[in-house]
Amino acid sequence: MSRATYMLKRLVLSIPVIIFGTTVTFAIIRLGPLSPAAAILGPKGDARAIQQIEQRLGLNEPLWEQYFDFMGNLFLFDLGQSWVINSGTPAVDLIISYAPRTIWLGFWAVLIALGIGIPLGFYAGLNPNTFSDYFASFGGIVWRAMPNFWLAVILVTVLSQSEQLFGFSWTSFIVETNVVTSPNLAVLRNPARLITDPGQAWTNLAKATKQILPPALVLGSASMGTEMRIGRTAVLETINSKYVETAKAKGVSPRVLVWKHIFRNALIPLVPVITAEAFILIGGSVLVETVFSINGIGLLFVKAAKQGDLPLVGTLMYLFILLIVGLNIVQDFAYTIIDPRVGYDA
Amino acid sequence: MMETEPTEDIDQPLRDRLKAHPGPALLWGAILCVLLLLEGPTYLDGLLGAIGAGLGLLPGAPGAEAFASASAYFGELPHLLSRELIPNRGYYDGSAWQGTFLGLEPKYAWLIRFLLVYAYVAVLLGWLWYGYVLFRRHYRAADWTPTDDVIDRLRSHYWGLFGLAVVVFFVTMAAFAPVIGPTTAEENIEGPYSYDMQYYNEDTETVETVTIGEANLGSASRGSGDSNVGVWSYDDFGRFHPVGTLVSGKDLFTFLAFGARLSLFIGLGSMAIAGFIATTLALVTAYYKGAADLIVVLTSDSVQAMPALLLVILATVVFQNHWISELYNGAMLFILLFALIRWPGLWRAIRGPALQVGEQEWVDAAKSYGQRPTVIMRKHMAPYILGYLLVYASLTLGGVIISVSALSFIGLGINAPTPEWGRAINIGQQYVASQSWHISLIPGLLITLVVTGFNALSDGIRDAIDPQSEGAEGGAAGAAAGGGGG
Repeated sequence: MSRATYMLKRLVLSIPVIIFGTTVTFAIIRLGPLSPAAAILGPKGDARAIQQIEQRLGLNEPLWEQYFDFMGNLFLFDLGQSWVINSGTPAVDLIISYAPRTIWLGFWAVLIALGIGIPLGFYAGLNPNTFSDYFASFGGIVWRAMPNFWLAVILVTVLSQSEQLFGFSWTSFIVETNVVTSPNLAVLRNPARLITDPGQAWTNLAKATKQILPPALVLGSASMGTEMRIGRTAVLETINSKYVETAKAKGVSPRVLVWKHIFRNALIPLVPVITAEAFILIGGSVLVETVFSINGIGLLFVKAAKQGDLPLVGTLMYLFILLIVGLNIVQDFAYTIIDPRVGYDA
Repeated sequence: MMETEPTEDIDQPLRDRLKAHPGPALLWGAILCVLLLLEGPTYLDGLLGAIGAGLGLLPGAPGAEAFASASAYFGELPHLLSRELIPNRGYYDGSAWQGTFLGLEPKYAWLIRFLLVYAYVAVLLGWLWYGYVLFRRHYRAADWTPTDDVIDRLRSHYWGLFGLAVVVFFVTMAAFAPVIGPTTAEENIEGPYSYDMQYYNEDTETVETVTIGEANLGSASRGSGDSNVGVWSYDDFGRFHPVGTLVSGKDLFTFLAFGARLSLFIGLGSMAIAGFIATTLALVTAYYKGAADLIVVLTSDSVQAMPALLLVILATVVFQNHWISELYNGAMLFILLFALIRWPGLWRAIRGPALQVGEQEWVDAAKSYGQRPTVIMRKHMAPYILGYLLVYASLTLGGVIISVSALSFIGLGINAPTPEWGRAINIGQQYVASQSWHISLIPGLLITLVVTGFNALSDGIRDAIDPQSEGAEGGAAGAAAGGGGG
């Protein structure tokens, strides 16, 4: 099977996956004990208002019709509107205004995790069974076991009171920022300002970056631990393989040996970890955004769920499912490029 | 071992071997009985109570009352590890402690009971292990089995043993929650205003009576000023708090012990169901392959493509007023949800070993003997994959514990006043840098410790059953376990 047919097969197989997830979401929302209309109005809603909303949501129609409406609308990207959070606003508008902060957070979370986890793991793997290896490995294990939300709580406290605790003020470090706040990303919407108005724009960018670093560190923590661990085993395995021994025997310099023969091959098992990180980010962003009160998609989801904005929740679920499926396909594609030995028959 | 008579027939059933040489077994059994009887009423109380609660769910609740009253009866009987035998609550009347164990300070009385619980569990486990050694020495037909090697490898795997110790610590805390805390959940957490306590008022120099709720108001930990009862300290009412109090003045240790019970219950329950689904499907797909395999691959892919934590949040909201949320304060709903969400991960992890064992000659042999497929799967394939299941279930269990506490942290799922670790972290959020730091930090450290413990145990079992496997596999599972976590 060629790469193209393999990717085509992957794409076709992802359709039932998306349908399944969306159907489950529909089932929970429409067949669950909480009617969307009752959820929107809360416990005090009177019967007339409930009837009105049921009418507008089409809840009076036969279930199968509702189902096909729901699925059809989602697949055509007619994502409906918000009912409680921001009544009457199209869901798309809400998502567009909330998403950039989550993406900014996710971007830094991945970057931090990669930038710290992989080098540490490779270092531990190149110096196995030394004190620093044990220290790094043990640290990675504990780091991974720490609940994100707890780590976030601790970090918020430490940073906002760093002046009293350590005599070093994080809030006034480089640029003045708050710890618990949404980063202002206006500058990224209009990057031309970085040149036209450098003073203001660069300060804003620095602020946005500094604000996102602590939550990103928390969000990346779990994957950082995993990356370190896998990086270490991958390096250990490559070091002990025959071709490295051969290269050593023919006199390849240690530098070339590490960078060319060990490093590149050790990266292969890290690919699924990096994509798996995306799932962690999606779940974890809910908690981290709550603690740091970042107005992102995760916080939007929790707010929508808690306040009973079920139509919006359904839409967000659908988008998350699309995102995960998409990332899975990207991962498989990356695999076929990085490691041509990967079988196409899976 | 050579102690067994060489003439002994290998095919002799265990019962005959026991009969031929009953000495060690009888002695061992007798001491085990004594150990169990020391705590017998507790076990019967728990067992009958659970049956009663189970029957109570059935329509009409047949016999539920009888079981409940029987359970209450056994709950009253004296036993070794009880607050009645070693009471830690009393008051200081100016010269000596009244009402505590041997007139000791509440601190030491509690500590003795706490240590006794762990000593009892240690002795019980040690005795069970000794039973296995006896079985190996005197009653097992074979001199050696592959299991011996697995156990030997686990015994010298210190990281795994550390995990085992943490898990035992946690399970004991959960199992003996009513005894191990300095006070009980009913009195201190659920209905503090329905119970009275006595204390010594130093100003009037008299013994006075207050409700526990009023006393709690005076023992609150609120960060600033006088109102803090920290780690290892007494409050104004002569009550001892090993890890301090909550913002509401309730005892944190008792809260944690009952929270451990809930977390363990959810973790074990969901893993039992998910493990059962995963094993069944792994066996069926490895045996039949083809279409069965494809269907399960697609289903598990679909389940895994749903954002787990968000799905749970949605389900908790939708089911919040449903009767299923009433079962054990919502723990039942969590068990079902996590079982349904986590089985694909387990199935993926044991699919490889299942396919491997499906290719073995002994499976072919059993087939050609005409054995039924269900028997082949159960007898000839299942034992091989159970070890792997244990490895990944232990990893996933840690993830479930984190997820549950994450949800109660954002105020979903397990509702107050039922203790849940995540809620304690949420309550103490604003006091982390104050003198009341214990409210948030100790539950968080405990979660980290327990999850690390389960991960370490999983590493230990993996290296024991499959010494060559140390590599990418474990890492992938690690990613999966962290996946739904918070």
